[in-house]
Amino acid sequence: MSFRILQCVAALSFGGAFFPSTLSATPSDPIFSQIQPLAASSLILDIANVGKGLVAVGERGHALVYDGSWHQVATPVSSQLTKVFFLNDKLGWAVGHDATILHTQDGGQTWQQQMHSPEIEKPFLDVVFLDENNGIAIGAYGLFYRTNDGGAHWSDEFHEELLAEEDVSYLAELKDSDQSAYVSARASLLPHFNRILTLTDGRLLLVGELGLVAVSGDKGSTFARTSFDYDGSMFNAIETKDAVYVMGLRGHIFKADVSLSQWNEIELPVQSSINGAMSVSDDAVYLVGNAGIVIKLNEDDTSSIVTRRQGENLVSIAKDNQGNMWLSGSQGLFILKP
Amino acid sequence: MLEKLVNGFESFLFRNRVWVVGIFVFLTLFLGYQASQLKMDAAFIKNIPLHHSYMQTYLKHQKDFGGANSIMVAVEDTSGNIFNANYFDTLKNVHDQLFFIPGVDRAQVKSIFSPSTRFTEVVEDGFAGGPVIPADFSTTVSGLETVRDNIEKAGIVGRLIANDYSAAMVSAQLMDFDPQTGKPLDTIAFAAQLEKELRGKFETDKVKIHIIGFAKMAGDVADGAKGVLLFFVIAIFITAVMVYLFSKSIILTVLPLVCSLTAVVWQLGLLTVIGFGLDPMSILVPFLVFAIGVSHGVQMINAVRRRVMDGQTTKAAAASAFRSLLVPGGVALLSDTVGFITLLSIDIGIIRELAISASLGVGVIIFTNLILLPLVISFTEIKVDKHAEPTAEEVRTEAIWRFLARFATPKYAVVVIIATVVLYFAGLQQANQMKIGDLQGGAPALHQDSRYNLDTFFITDHFSITTDVMTVIVEAAPEACTYHDVLTQIDEFEWLVRNTPGVESTVSLASVAKKVNAGFNEGNPRWEVLPRTTASLVQAIGQIPTTSGLLNGDCSVMPVYLFMKDHKAETIETVVAKVKAVAAKMDNDKLQFKLASGPVGVMAATNEAVAEAQLPMMLYVYGAVFVLCLISFKSFKATVAVIIPLYVVSTLAQALMTQLDIGLAVSTLPVIALGVGIGVDYGIYILSTMSSKLSNGMPVQQAYYEALVERGSAVIFTGLTLAIGVSTWFFSALKFQMDMGILLTFMFVVNMLGAIIILPALAAVFWRQPK
Repeated sequence: MSFRILQCVAALSFGGAFFPSTLSATPSDPIFSQIQPLAASSLILDIANVGKGLVAVGERGHALVYDGSWHQVATPVSSQLTKVFFLNDKLGWAVGHDATILHTQDGGQTWQQQMHSPEIEKPFLDVVFLDENNGIAIGAYGLFYRTNDGGAHWSDEFHEELLAEEDVSYLAELKDSDQSAYVSARASLLPHFNRILTLTDGRLLLVGELGLVAVSGDKGSTFARTSFDYDGSMFNAIETKDAVYVMGLRGHIFKADVSLSQWNEIELPVQSSINGAMSVSDDAVYLVGNAGIVIKLNEDDTSSIVTRRQGENLVSIAKDNQGNMWLSGSQGLFILKP
Repeated sequence: MLEKLVNGFESFLFRNRVWVVGIFVFLTLFLGYQASQLKMDAAFIKNIPLHHSYMQTYLKHQKDFGGANSIMVAVEDTSGNIFNANYFDTLKNVHDQLFFIPGVDRAQVKSIFSPSTRFTEVVEDGFAGGPVIPADFSTTVSGLETVRDNIEKAGIVGRLIANDYSAAMVSAQLMDFDPQTGKPLDTIAFAAQLEKELRGKFETDKVKIHIIGFAKMAGDVADGAKGVLLFFVIAIFITAVMVYLFSKSIILTVLPLVCSLTAVVWQLGLLTVIGFGLDPMSILVPFLVFAIGVSHGVQMINAVRRRVMDGQTTKAAAASAFRSLLVPGGVALLSDTVGFITLLSIDIGIIRELAISASLGVGVIIFTNLILLPLVISFTEIKVDKHAEPTAEEVRTEAIWRFLARFATPKYAVVVIIATVVLYFAGLQQANQMKIGDLQGGAPALHQDSRYNLDTFFITDHFSITTDVMTVIVEAAPEACTYHDVLTQIDEFEWLVRNTPGVESTVSLASVAKKVNAGFNEGNPRWEVLPRTTASLVQAIGQIPTTSGLLNGDCSVMPVYLFMKDHKAETIETVVAKVKAVAAKMDNDKLQFKLASGPVGVMAATNEAVAEAQLPMMLYVYGAVFVLCLISFKSFKATVAVIIPLYVVSTLAQALMTQLDIGLAVSTLPVIALGVGIGVDYGIYILSTMSSKLSNGMPVQQAYYEALVERGSAVIFTGLTLAIGVSTWFFSALKFQMDMGILLTFMFVVNMLGAIIILPALAAVFWRQPK
């Protein structure tokens, strides 16, 4: 235990240069994640492939590294981590609640804090890096932060273009009449941004609450909504060989070609929210979601339930270099039994 | 002085013997009537160490959280599938019936039929939900299908519905006191009602009823305890045969038995007089009283018989026997009594009751068997063949005494002492591994294959329910649950304790609030956090009713439930230690984490109380025996010679417990004290005969031989009688009686052996012959 803490302290001092000005923590916050034997069976929200291994993140600031077995590594926060993104074998970022952004330079073994702002009272829900300098972190109520220096500095952006029309005029009114109401309205009018994905052609796809499906051709400076008829939340998106899928609330999943001009709904045999997706072959995608469902979705839009794990929610799916399919969710990490 | 007193007492009693016997008859009639009013009585509260800090916490919050006295009724469909009309009708009836049984806290009856069992689901525009059993429920195929869907949405599979849908649960909390009469709940009557109103009415070929909970267990224990009556009859019969073989006189067989039974009647009558009931735990006391009574009675008839053989009249013989036995018998019985009274120092109601009823019982033996018996004998005419030539049997017996007397020679003494030392250390090594607490699953009082334990195993197998729950109570300021930092600390505590070997799962307001918050955010697991915004936090907490048992009315108290792998002492100790360590770090003036409630919380307190009581209890028992021996022998050497064998035997008894997997528990703790208290009798009888001879300068071997001739057969006989009486418990329906029976049998027999083998060896060393 004491060894782990030492490791944390070392990691912190190493990452000292990256401390952003926004760093703060209320006194009651336990600063570090706790290394505990059951971390791998706690709520795990994302798994990423890193080199030959995997890295997973989840509740209580848990980060775990897989190299034949899972072991927990220290992080400088105890906030829930929602997503983890790796640019290459070494460089990665994890984001989460309390507007937390963590960074690793050694494939997930040690983590440094780049941002932690509980006072914003919003979580980051996804992060993407286009190269080692340029990255975007998104989250609840249109939370949108950008960095141009690998995360040393993060600055927020307000994507007004994604507001509903009536909200645009409402905000304009407030801006002139009541500055403080304007600030608080601005902080809550945008929908949750749930997922941001770089498409193979370099465009960025952003999905979120209230049927938000938007695309950006300028590295996220501006987004344009695509024509999308469903107004439930979209939680995830995935690009396959020649299609893009967005998926979310109550088993809703939509498919479009790369032009993203028209979304067609695919019927799934479930009514549970879809949280995670992974291409398993050229012609099939595995979907995981609430109520413990794992669904195989074929290119021809047919689908079948692979398994249904009662009483738990599944959030993420990833394949290790042995070919094992790892699932994560409310019961932690485990291999999908064929 | 003492002798004068005894003589005066004797002449007074024997001169007024008609009156005295008359008074005894009158008292026996009175107490006999009282005894007939005696009720079985088993209250939950008596089984727990009330003053232990855990139990203080338990009692403090019992009103809000029910505590540990609950009842679970699993209704099983033997086809393995509950979704049929017949089953649902039965389940509803069981729910309603349980609701109306007096003693049930109606607000806390829970099943899928209770209105508070609801489901919620996330839809595009928010939540949808309702009771699991809709208002328009009918047992049609579609109606059952709807219920099935609702059950899955409500997330109650494993709790109210079996994991394999083969059964459903109806649970209720019991009230310790009847709110109308204010009287304590009659647990045994309640259990009988469960049996009659639930199992009797609703169990069929298709539907099976499994009932568990303290009240049911107490009822089953009481039923098992009734079987003890049969053992009592058997014990009386065997004893009668043995006494006859010993005395070869019908009168001398009947009288000690009658006097001993009189003692039992007095003891039971006195229980009613002082307002006690008969607890299944202390039902063994009448056995002990009877057996101890007989053993003293045998000493008495033995003494009378010897004197009659020496040519005295029966009356003179009785008076003389009274004179010679009042002091050693009195001391022996007093030390028994004191041995039992030491049990009062243990803070568990049931053990105190045992202490009181046993010391009463042994106390009355002084009157019935040391006073009444010789008086009654004096009215009879005992005929003994006076013959000059010893019979073949007497020759045989004498050979045995000669053989035993060798243990009092230095040569044999050394061998015996070395053997004793070896045995002692071997025993000590085992005794140190003695486990605390209950070692088996289910209800430890009952056998593993009893109906109750089979029901327990059914429920733990088919539901994600364990009866092995310990609750840590979080005490904070009113409205504490609306503060993010308070809930965060509870969440942190819960997680750290969850990471303890032996803890299978946990639940608290914090962990449920996180799930509710995810629910408010479209069921998205990425929102399974405690929201920092007070409004969101309050919204989440607001969904959790106080009936969930996760918070009290003003949320100043929030329990953390720990579901444990089992209730073995080591498991409990590990978890308790972890809870204490985490609590010590996290406690502050805003909130404290306090042990403990729930069945395992009670066990933790009981185990600690039992473990703590063990040493003081032993010290008191031995202290009392020491002082009494010192007073009666006026010799330090004699006292030590009596106590060492006792101590070796106690250690061996503990080693036996380790060997037989019998844990030190509420039921077995008193056995050691009882064993010592009764075991000392043998030594006292033998040594009291020896000590006067020794102080007159008689060699040890001769003194011991003469003691054997005078009292040896009575001592051996006593040991066997006591052992046979309690060994019938081996067949008891109650596991704890079986354990007690085994241990007491062992202690009685081995203490007797100690008194006739180790004691003379020690005497040989202590009173070495002057060269």
